[in-house]
Amino acid sequence: MNRRLGAGLGRHRTAYIMILPAVLAMLLVHYIPMLWGFYISVHDVNLFTMANWTSAPFVGIRNFVAGFDGSTAIGARAFRSLVNIVVYSVVTITAGYVIGLAVALLLNQEFRGRTLMRGLILLPYITPDSVAYNVWRFIFQSRIGILNRYLVQSGLVAEPTVWLIGKSALWAVVVASVWKGWPFAALVLLAALQKIPQELYEACRVDGASSWQQFWCITLPFLRPVSVTLILMSILWNFNAFNQFFIMLGKDPGVAAEVPSTLILREAFSNFNYGIGSALSIILMMILLVITVIYLRVLKGTAGSEEV
Amino acid sequence: MRRNSSRKAAGRVLLYLAVLFVALVVLMPYAWMVSGSLKQTLELQSSDVMVPGMRPSWIPRRPTLENYRNVNRSVPMLTYFAHSMVISTGTMVVATALSLLAAYALSRFPFRGRDVYTVSVLATQMLPGILFLIPYYLIFTLISRRTGFPLRDTYWGMIFTYTSFALPFSIVMLRSYLNGIPLEIDEQAMIDGCTRFRALWQIVLPLATPGIAAVAIYSFIMGWNEVLFASVLTGRQTRTVAVGIMDYVTATGANWGGMMAACIIISIPVLIMFTVMQRYIVEGLVSGATKG
Repeated sequence: MNRRLGAGLGRHRTAYIMILPAVLAMLLVHYIPMLWGFYISVHDVNLFTMANWTSAPFVGIRNFVAGFDGSTAIGARAFRSLVNIVVYSVVTITAGYVIGLAVALLLNQEFRGRTLMRGLILLPYITPDSVAYNVWRFIFQSRIGILNRYLVQSGLVAEPTVWLIGKSALWAVVVASVWKGWPFAALVLLAALQKIPQELYEACRVDGASSWQQFWCITLPFLRPVSVTLILMSILWNFNAFNQFFIMLGKDPGVAAEVPSTLILREAFSNFNYGIGSALSIILMMILLVITVIYLRVLKGTAGSEEV
Repeated sequence: MRRNSSRKAAGRVLLYLAVLFVALVVLMPYAWMVSGSLKQTLELQSSDVMVPGMRPSWIPRRPTLENYRNVNRSVPMLTYFAHSMVISTGTMVVATALSLLAAYALSRFPFRGRDVYTVSVLATQMLPGILFLIPYYLIFTLISRRTGFPLRDTYWGMIFTYTSFALPFSIVMLRSYLNGIPLEIDEQAMIDGCTRFRALWQIVLPLATPGIAAVAIYSFIMGWNEVLFASVLTGRQTRTVAVGIMDYVTATGANWGGMMAACIIISIPVLIMFTVMQRYIVEGLVSGATKG
């Protein structure tokens, strides 16, 4: 059908004209800066050389080595930030998925006010990060935040805890991120749940399957493709997590709650080591690429074995 | 039979309890935000350590609107609001126009490089934002020095940046929307003597309004909410609400009441847009996530 509109390259001039502005914009903002990023990462661009950074000295992979070497200050922090982001991501994604699935199953039931609830769970998702995480920062305040009041009242903690400094900071951010993140999982899973043919459940019930068996044999397999995409997207998003850490913990969250994106920001814009910052961002990108490839490979493997 | 119906009733109760619990968890931070915005400064700074019996509570002791009246006093929130409006509206207009043209081309012409382009559009979404930030900052600085045309801390610099961030998702979403509009419609219009652009403008555009509106709102909200680039690339002339709101907390003290009032104010544009377009946005999000 598309053939009718013209086959030759010349006849698609209109198409090229139409797509040109978007290509140019992305070239200027995505592709060229990425190449410059590689350039900066192998040069010693810092506070002293940045004014003429195009002629900064070439240092090869020294910036990358610094990022990997655990014996240097920056290398140790980079490693720690990776550990932090893995812990953060695993907990946030697991909790977000489990809660999202539970709520999706709940909202898939018939009850009065269901439409209202479906609108309501959108709220955390659509609330701007700057609003949501500042409110959570306020909730976690040690003396005037609402959380400590109940913890103290119930005797769980003896006196108000300072949540946003030190070790507990990471967990405070996890709590806020889970609150903000599960509705997206719930929405996507709910949409998938509604596409499952009801006849399957009926057939199962005739065969005497319990609701647990129905969930295990019908619901979960049906949700699998959607879940795979959902989890891969969550990994990519969470590994890049910045807003929640920056907003709740500020520019210097301390080593215990530092993650790659805040570390890179600090290294580049507070310590003015643009070269090392760029090298660290490229390492981060490589890690994400590897995760994506492994994940898709594993997935393909299991999908293949299922067909057999 | 009776046991069965009482079990069913118990199930209903459990169901509603669970729903209520979810609703409470969702609403809790908003309640705290509204409560904080209505509290007096004294209540927001004291705890029972300083004033005996003063514990944080959901209900303000003496509700006041002073935080809303003073929202602009310690922090120039109205200026930030204006900056955000200009940048977000600019992003919305430019991103929607560019993505409409690109999506139309992708949907209507089988040109060479179409698939490569589509894949590269999707790939940019996976890359960490921080990867672009350092080159950006240095390129902006370089351009300013060499040409005298400033990009850092200007509306154009921010609109340009955010437009390109909004483009990938906008193009993909509009393309799938336009794919749903039959080709015959533009062909018929062109047989009747329309040019390609007129067919797009007068025939396809009105049919695609919901998709276009969804993309427009998406790019507006993107500009309104972005934090990372705004924290580095904006300054006195362009500071946006998403970053400016943090000024309420300083090293010398925090104005939580003012911040909570500001939180409510800066949520309003986003809430309005989502309410108007809720159906399309959710559809787009869900289909975007499930189709990859």
